[in-house]
Amino acid sequence: METKKLATGAAPRKLSDYLTRARDKAPAHAGHGMGGAQSVREDNYRGHEIEIVTTYKILVDGKKIRAPLGVDASGQVHCHSLPNYQTASAVGMVRALIDGFPEEFERKPAPAKRQPPASHKRRPAPARKSRSAAKKGSKHEH
Amino acid sequence: MAVVRKNISQNADVRDQYIQGVQLLKNEASGRKTNEFGIPGAARSVSTYDLFVIWHVTAMMLETPPGNPAGRNSAHRGPVFAPWHRVMLMLFEQNLQRLLNDANFGLPYWDWAEDGDLPPQQQSAAAIWGADCMGGQGNPVTTGPFAFSQSDPSAFRVRISTNISGELRSVNRGLRRAFGVSADALPRTAHVTHALALSPYDSPDWDADTNSFRNRIEGWMNDEGVSATWLHNLVHVWVGGEMLLGSSPNDPVFFLNHCNIDRLWESWMTRNGRVYVPDMTAGADLKGHRIDDPINSPLGRSATPRETLDVSEIYEYDALP
Repeated sequence: METKKLATGAAPRKLSDYLTRARDKAPAHAGHGMGGAQSVREDNYRGHEIEIVTTYKILVDGKKIRAPLGVDASGQVHCHSLPNYQTASAVGMVRALIDGFPEEFERKPAPAKRQPPASHKRRPAPARKSRSAAKKGSKHEH
Repeated sequence: MAVVRKNISQNADVRDQYIQGVQLLKNEASGRKTNEFGIPGAARSVSTYDLFVIWHVTAMMLETPPGNPAGRNSAHRGPVFAPWHRVMLMLFEQNLQRLLNDANFGLPYWDWAEDGDLPPQQQSAAAIWGADCMGGQGNPVTTGPFAFSQSDPSAFRVRISTNISGELRSVNRGLRRAFGVSADALPRTAHVTHALALSPYDSPDWDADTNSFRNRIEGWMNDEGVSATWLHNLVHVWVGGEMLLGSSPNDPVFFLNHCNIDRLWESWMTRNGRVYVPDMTAGADLKGHRIDDPINSPLGRSATPRETLDVSEIYEYDALP
């Protein structure tokens, strides 16, 4: 490899130009990251053609996660969001995703119960309504 | 004249230059903004350092061939793993030389097997994690040159990461590390020795199930030929935090790990010759991994696996295992 070409290619402008071009070829921008990644495994056995199509639908705390999991010929599960992992099961990979992306699994605090405004608390209790007025009020609520 | 790449734990001058160079790269504006790389949110300036983060993520997205079940991409899980990272490191090294104004600077390596030979409970106290080197662990890291400080705008910050779909996103936070959480211990010298004893560089089916040198050092198979997190992968997973993600070059330790992997490849070639497979008779399914295919890089056709086999005019290592 020529040192001169190396120095030219290393220039930030050259690298960033290349990256903007490469981005357009990346499948993530064509829906790969939408949780729809499929693995298609093919084999031949005793003259039979085998095709296994695997698509994962993963829910964590009831919420669908958009991780591009795949499975290879030997059944090992991989996910390019965690490129250094390979697990024997999809469950193992989802556990690793929870460790790797903690902020994506943060539980939102339950909304606080509505408290009446402070001014209401201080307001004196309303005068007792007559039975007919109370009935009218309850109708009004409907 | 070739520069010499040295062990970061044994060379304080190189260590200090590396830290300074990373900080300079992190603070140098590349002239591009996040929106130009399709990163959602407000457009932000992208540093030259962060171009390498984007490059790594983009390379992983380029599947070879598209949709292959093995997950093989233009930089990982296939034969081009070693050549692609060699090119990346050379371009990174060139940028460090430019900003340090030192054409003799050689990228240092982390000989993690030395630390892996320590008892597991001592590994996180190794010299590399000292405050004068890479700093320690935490969310965020609070010691060393890459420690986070919310109030200090010049402190090292992670600005580009990936989401759970593997897509690029803007962030503004400190570096994260969690030693030994996702893996108990670093690889040991014996594991390196066993990998170097494998004579085929790679072999069919050219994937994560292959018992070859490439697959062993990339880290998909252990010494018993069983699928496991090993060598390069194990280092990523042991360090944890940033190193778990596709945006792992965010941690400056990424380059030290890969420089050591490159050193192992160089050692393997001194034993087995400067050979590489697959050649160009391999099918289109291996396009991007064959010996004369262009590596996905800004160098175009001038960087192929064949062109990376002999880099003796560019750099050499002070010691090979």
